[in-house]
Amino acid sequence: MATYLLRRLLLGCVTLVAITVVVYGLARSMPGNPLTAQLGEDPSRKVSAADYERMQRAYGLDRSWPEGYLQWAGNLLRGDLGRSITRKQPVTTLIGERLGPTLLVSGTAFLLIWMLAIPLGLYASARAGTVDERGVSLVLYALYSFPTFVAALLLQIVFSVWSKGTAWELPLFGMTSLPPDAPLAARIVDVARHMILPVVCQTYVSLAYDTRFIRATMAEAVRQDYIRTARAKGAGPWRVLVRHAFRNTLIPLVTLLGLSLPALVGGSIIIEQIFTWPGMGRLFFESIRERDYPTIMGLTLMFSVLTLLGQLLADLLYSAVDPRVSVE
Amino acid sequence: MAAVDGFWGQAWRRYRRRPLAMAALLFVVGLAAVAVLAPAIAGTKPVVCRYKGRLYAPCLAYFDRRLEPAIFAKDKFRGSYPRNLAAKDPQSWAIWPLVFQDPYRAVRADEWPGRPENPAMDKGVPSRAHPFGTDQAGVDVFAKMVHGTTVALLVGFVSMGIAGTIGIVVGALGGYCGGWVDALTSRITEIVMCVPTLVLILAIMAIIEKPTIWHTMAIIGFTGWTGIARLTRGEFLRLKGAEYVTAARAAGAGPVRIMLRHILPNALAPILVPITFGIAAAILVESGLSFLGFGSPPPTASWGSILNGARSNLGMWWLVVFPGVAIFLTVLAYNLVGEGLQEATDPRLREARK
Repeated sequence: MATYLLRRLLLGCVTLVAITVVVYGLARSMPGNPLTAQLGEDPSRKVSAADYERMQRAYGLDRSWPEGYLQWAGNLLRGDLGRSITRKQPVTTLIGERLGPTLLVSGTAFLLIWMLAIPLGLYASARAGTVDERGVSLVLYALYSFPTFVAALLLQIVFSVWSKGTAWELPLFGMTSLPPDAPLAARIVDVARHMILPVVCQTYVSLAYDTRFIRATMAEAVRQDYIRTARAKGAGPWRVLVRHAFRNTLIPLVTLLGLSLPALVGGSIIIEQIFTWPGMGRLFFESIRERDYPTIMGLTLMFSVLTLLGQLLADLLYSAVDPRVSVE
Repeated sequence: MAAVDGFWGQAWRRYRRRPLAMAALLFVVGLAAVAVLAPAIAGTKPVVCRYKGRLYAPCLAYFDRRLEPAIFAKDKFRGSYPRNLAAKDPQSWAIWPLVFQDPYRAVRADEWPGRPENPAMDKGVPSRAHPFGTDQAGVDVFAKMVHGTTVALLVGFVSMGIAGTIGIVVGALGGYCGGWVDALTSRITEIVMCVPTLVLILAIMAIIEKPTIWHTMAIIGFTGWTGIARLTRGEFLRLKGAEYVTAARAAGAGPVRIMLRHILPNALAPILVPITFGIAAAILVESGLSFLGFGSPPPTASWGSILNGARSNLGMWWLVVFPGVAIFLTVLAYNLVGEGLQEATDPRLREARK
């Protein structure tokens, strides 16, 4: 077990180096740099050639990208993710600021998804083959195929444009529209109202996917011999479904949970972009547009570590719970 | 009466029994027909016309600019056919597209005898003349969507063609050869899987000087093969120990022949399923990119780029509803085809049905 873990961790480090090299190389190959992306927007801030050169040197932009990468990696080993060039803040502070808003939306969506997906999945398995089950499955399937950006735009049109002035009106974008000195209760209500549309958008696609996943693993489980045994000894249909079948589908379910870890922390670029939600996905999108290399690298590193950890966790859980699967 | 048909014949018989899957397949075939016939459905160039004693098909210019007959440029038509044809050759005749509207520009006043100018900005509410409305620049949304069908179909097939090829080759090598080859291919798959796709696409699109729709397709293909590779690897791992493979090896077949002729046909059905789902995903990614403004450049008519126009003016609901429904139906159709394929080819699911 220990050798397996050690091997996986070493391989993970190799993978991390490869990913960061690829992303750093790509980021530096994009036309322009953080300075031109910033100065280009504001003509009043024209700088002289000498100043520009000095700034380039200060941020290490005058060096080739392999040198720049080695410097970044060296700093990382010393526990320093660097400072954002365009925002003049440490990358860790920036990520810390954005983590909260993303978790607020994706965490709420996550809770909603599992609170709805498990009962729906069980219901679909219990009523397999009936008309209402087919109806539910078809609706979920349709939701799964519905693009989030279309849903987001439609929700914005219905709840912001058409409901203007009614009780149904919801804020179009942003996280809050109150000044920071407003009373706490009012601010909570305000943020909650801003959250509704992004949460709905993030919930429905995964809800459809996860319910179908539960339904599929349940279909596999109810064909096993122990289900026949349970039925033969007189267990009721719900008892068989929940106590005998569902318990055995928990392993793939936990695996799915592990694999959704990066999405939970990373947020959705498209949803956060549409609703201008100040989260991680939007930070990623903006940092690419601003050519803010340290932020791009910090976020890439975080996502890759989470993805690799999620995979490792899933594999370990699998072998821990199912003795037929061995990690060695 | 048991007709002798192979695995695929049986699969097709089972597939045909599923009405939803058949409807989805027909929808995809219909889309392909719309894509091929797009210039004849909506356009401002004649499908066929006779001009100065010769026959031309100017509508082909919608597929490729170079296919526009040179004579019309020489005679200074400037893309406006109806009046020029009549004025410069009274003997000419033409067969026009069903809808006289252009996907790339607004139709001007009286360009078609008696027809008013296309309404621009938020005046383009769907009406009799424009069933799907017009966009900010006055371009007919129906014409744009008909011509955007080509993009939607091509994106799915081209990108999944690339992804399928890479995925099958990488997965087959890893699964069949094992050892260091497997270690290497697994590592590469893991790396590509961990790099955030949207970031990769945005970065590469920024690096390419003049990105076209073909670049978008290629990038989606080069990033979307990891799932297929993992599945192929698993199938090859499972099948390489099968008795018929040992028999083939004993008969002297080389590794390439065994992989291509013996294992691949037996592994193809489960691999085809994620490829079909991948087509749906590729369409979503492309329209999402165009929606964010990072897709193919403006002249390309993509459904996602119509949606992008609605972002700045939410009052123009028709710019969301029509392309949105088109994307939704297409994605749904591919997903249903994928599921039908899965149920028709997976023997485990068949047993469950009994």
